[in-house]
Amino acid sequence: MDIKIIAARSHILSQIRSFFHINEYLEVETPILAPELIPESTIEVFETTFSSEFHGDRQLYLTPSPEVFMKKLIAKGSGNIYQITKSFRNSEQIGKDHNPEFTMLEWYTMETDYMDSIKTTEDLFESLIKEDTPGCFKPPFLRKSIEEVFKEYISVNLLKCQTRTLIKEEAMNLGLKIEKTDTWEDIFNRIFLNFIEPELPKDKPIVLYNYPKQILCLAKELKGTPWRERWELYVNGIELANCYSEETESIKVKNLFETEYAKKVQSPGVIPDIDSNYNLIFNKDFPECSGVALGIDRLVMLLTGATSIEGVILFPFSDMIDNE
Amino acid sequence: MKAGAIDKGIALLIKGSPFIVVERDFVNPGKGSAFVRLKLKSPENGRVLKETMKTQDNVEEIIVEEKDCQFLYSDAESYHFMDTETYDQFEIPMEGFADYKLLMRDGDSYKIIMWEDKPLDIIIPYKVVYEVTEAFEGVKGDTVQGASKLVTIETGLEVKVPIFIKQGERIMINTETREYVERVNS
Repeated sequence: MDIKIIAARSHILSQIRSFFHINEYLEVETPILAPELIPESTIEVFETTFSSEFHGDRQLYLTPSPEVFMKKLIAKGSGNIYQITKSFRNSEQIGKDHNPEFTMLEWYTMETDYMDSIKTTEDLFESLIKEDTPGCFKPPFLRKSIEEVFKEYISVNLLKCQTRTLIKEEAMNLGLKIEKTDTWEDIFNRIFLNFIEPELPKDKPIVLYNYPKQILCLAKELKGTPWRERWELYVNGIELANCYSEETESIKVKNLFETEYAKKVQSPGVIPDIDSNYNLIFNKDFPECSGVALGIDRLVMLLTGATSIEGVILFPFSDMIDNE
Repeated sequence: MKAGAIDKGIALLIKGSPFIVVERDFVNPGKGSAFVRLKLKSPENGRVLKETMKTQDNVEEIIVEEKDCQFLYSDAESYHFMDTETYDQFEIPMEGFADYKLLMRDGDSYKIIMWEDKPLDIIIPYKVVYEVTEAFEGVKGDTVQGASKLVTIETGLEVKVPIFIKQGERIMINTETREYVERVNS
């Protein structure tokens, strides 16, 4: 542990809080130990047991993000909110930008959409800049749609590759090996990770927006297109934040949960209990809003010029495991 | 083996050719399924290959042997080694390992990774102590904290060091980053 990191982290966290305070967001605290989660087929969770001597045991889960509770607050009329909290992802490999326990900043802005949130994120970055901040962190962000980068980097018209057969053909033309079990999303990710992500500019932050709607998530669909109102922010080649125009239609949330849950029960690993009434919070009073999630450890790493998140987490998991 | 189980330093057979894994990182694109990103190096020509695959993909691992060898010297094309068990001398073409030239010291012992009698990799210890063979004196009165200068070590490598390091002193180098770690007194 580099002792200077204590000061750097503390300073960055206080600047973030001050940014949201000035912009009249309320800071909230929500549980990280929860009896129910939302189903996310690709995320492995940590499970634990609440023991009660006289009333039996209850399975609980460490939350992989604060989303589920923050949306309940929005449904109650909280208005703009933010949170800096611990989040947990199991089975993710430990590496230079992964730790199973990490610090997440998540904020929701009412009556805005995903494109408005790019501006808020730029303003937040602006407030964090100091004299010695690396140039790769400085706004304004470059903005490109997924459709644009596919055209620009590999001359693939993604708009026309909406079936598995068509995208598989493009992937094979690029020399990729495709497995029988690969879904459309898997093939998209193979192309994206081999040919797009490594080539993204590193001298400026870049927002990639309008992700394929075939990648299921709680982002709204962009009407009349095969895309969703979602973006991911890359800084120096690292995925730092993501944003949705949040889905507010109850039936769509319900359908998504059912699809994801069906996938989840077929996969190995913990199958968390699901709040089957969760979709009911999205009633007619639920406001249109946009949410951004940003990895604080990665942010501190980029702001301090560290080369690994292990360098900015005071007690990285890899150190604790090695000491055993 | 599954791609998710790959570790740095192991050897894989890719499209019929051996490669050494020099970097391995995991990536979960936008909460998506898990992928592993590899940087591979060909021991035949030093060519670097980047590949990203699903952690569930199958890869072919090569079973290798390690042998202890003494590095004798290098000429324009090859490194010359001696197997310390059999005393056999052999050459490794420099092409695949050109970047090791400024890290290896004549007379030192190294582990060599072999596959079907072909050398796949030379293992350079992570931290090595070298002698500083060329260093200019720091400028007098230069007391700026963190001030540094360039020195040359016995293998010919130039390293950035703190201003107080003198010619003839021994310093520890991180061979991966090729950066100065500390001065060694004994």
